[in-house]
Amino acid sequence: MQDAKSTKFKPTIPRNLIERTPLRDRGASRAFLMPTVILILGFSVFPLLFSLLLAFMSWDLSRLEGGMRFIGLKNFTTLVSDPRFWNTARVTVFFVVGSVGLQYVLGLGLALLLNQEIRFRRFFRVAFLVPMMLTPAAVGYVGRMLFNESMGPINDIIQHLGGPLIPWLSNSRLALPSLILLDTWEWVPFMTIVLLAGLQSLPPELFECARVDGASEWKIFRLITLPMLAPVSITVILIRALEAFKLFDIVMVMTGGGPGTATETVTMYAYTVGMNNGNLGYASAIAYSLLIMVVIFSTIFLNSLRGRAAAVEA
Amino acid sequence: MQLTLRQTRKIKLTITHVLLVIWAIICLFPIYWVLITSFKHPIAVFQGPKYFPWIDFQPTLNAWKFLLTGPTSASVYRSWSNSAILAISSAAIAVMIGAMAGYALTRFRYYWSGLKWRNNNIAFWIISQRMLPAVVVILPFMIMFRVFKLIDTHAGMILAYTVFNLPFAVWILRDFFAGLPVDLEESALIDGASRFKAFRSIVLPLAAPGLIATFLFCLVFTWNDYLFALMLTFSKAATLPMFIAGEGTQSYGPQWWYLSALSLLSIAPMILITLLVERYITRGLVVGAIK
Repeated sequence: MQDAKSTKFKPTIPRNLIERTPLRDRGASRAFLMPTVILILGFSVFPLLFSLLLAFMSWDLSRLEGGMRFIGLKNFTTLVSDPRFWNTARVTVFFVVGSVGLQYVLGLGLALLLNQEIRFRRFFRVAFLVPMMLTPAAVGYVGRMLFNESMGPINDIIQHLGGPLIPWLSNSRLALPSLILLDTWEWVPFMTIVLLAGLQSLPPELFECARVDGASEWKIFRLITLPMLAPVSITVILIRALEAFKLFDIVMVMTGGGPGTATETVTMYAYTVGMNNGNLGYASAIAYSLLIMVVIFSTIFLNSLRGRAAAVEA
Repeated sequence: MQLTLRQTRKIKLTITHVLLVIWAIICLFPIYWVLITSFKHPIAVFQGPKYFPWIDFQPTLNAWKFLLTGPTSASVYRSWSNSAILAISSAAIAVMIGAMAGYALTRFRYYWSGLKWRNNNIAFWIISQRMLPAVVVILPFMIMFRVFKLIDTHAGMILAYTVFNLPFAVWILRDFFAGLPVDLEESALIDGASRFKAFRSIVLPLAAPGLIATFLFCLVFTWNDYLFALMLTFSKAATLPMFIAGEGTQSYGPQWWYLSALSLLSIAPMILITLLVERYITRGLVVGAIK
């Protein structure tokens, strides 16, 4: 991805201008970038390192002065044998895979539909965009209403169609799928819009040639559209997955992590440990484990796809 | 029966439209549901799902009256205005600082010998701050805010949200500036304008669509945030999502009608933004994700 980016950038960077710019620009170049660098160093990199330090400490929120004690790897050894943590990790990974997968499939389908000569284009674009703009806390609450067993419209409609009464939020096996459905509703728009732009940037001649040669629509989709859309697909899936790993707000409102701990995510657990139990060291260890999960996932995902892309090109 | 090419195409387009309409209904139905629930009597809610005002239930303004004039109305107004103040100011600051950095990364050449970093490395370092899970930095944030007495203050929250939005703003604006022609600013520089003057009076106006799109995104991110507000505020600077979540988890059970009206207060501005500036949002999304 990096390489593609740098090649794309080369023609737009006015290198000759930079070489010709007078000395006074040395000051300007620093002044323009400094505010960002200082803010990020102070309020993003420093907290990150501070958090890493905390993960090796025992520190209580109620005794912030003088309560910090170095305990080595103890937080992490506790973490490894903490069943509640493993449950949150499982819930988070299941959520990421389920919701991002579903969103990609639906988003791609809708992008393909929209990439035709359709009427009321603007209406569809706006209607399809709206869910992703809405406040997740409010969306979580809306989900709680829609999935309500006796008063919610979803069960009502299912029953009208002859289906059973589904205990969406009170059954510990169904609560997480309900969350996935709600998150999918909110985030399919993102996939749709970006994938549609990706589709529109593909050269139309290619498809005309394939059609003239008599290729079936399915073959065109599988052998031309999907491979050519791969860079965009990788990007949207990665962006959504990175966000999905952080899942917090809609769960807090929709299920509160329940029933029991069936929908408790890693972020929620870190929050509970840090704020409710006041155990800052252990909470930092949990948070860092999420960071490690995210890094491992991105690395594996990008490497496996890059390997496959190389195989396709060869 | 043999179908002509035109007939197959027509059938295909019809199916397409049917599917699109179904998805549009799925997108809009939840919003419709909150809207009608906010006009329901408690009885109409507990009797089971009612879909059409005046047909299967009698609408009432009670929930809205309670929300806007009842005992909690002061908190409602305060959290709404807090959300607005924090979102607008932090988005504006993030766009200003981000525009400078985005511009610098496309016009100057940087080389930091420490890590052999060039422009692209710096840009990636900046955006990577946005990718990491917020929960990792939020605990130290809370401790820093306690030490500097920034907990539950507007200034503190604006700072937190500016830092939260900044990487994204830099990333998106860098792409916008890279796509702008340099001839105009070049001639201004040759005519003796300072770099800052050329930036302010020539580059920024040209980049206006990008600035607007970025501003809107930062605005939406901040308006919708819950985690930062939950960790760093409790009353004076508490935001609307916090208020919604707090009311939604009361022990006496959710008051669906009241919470629906409350949710609409948070959702409505976002719907309005979508309707007004859908084009900017779409473009910003595409630039941010693809380029």
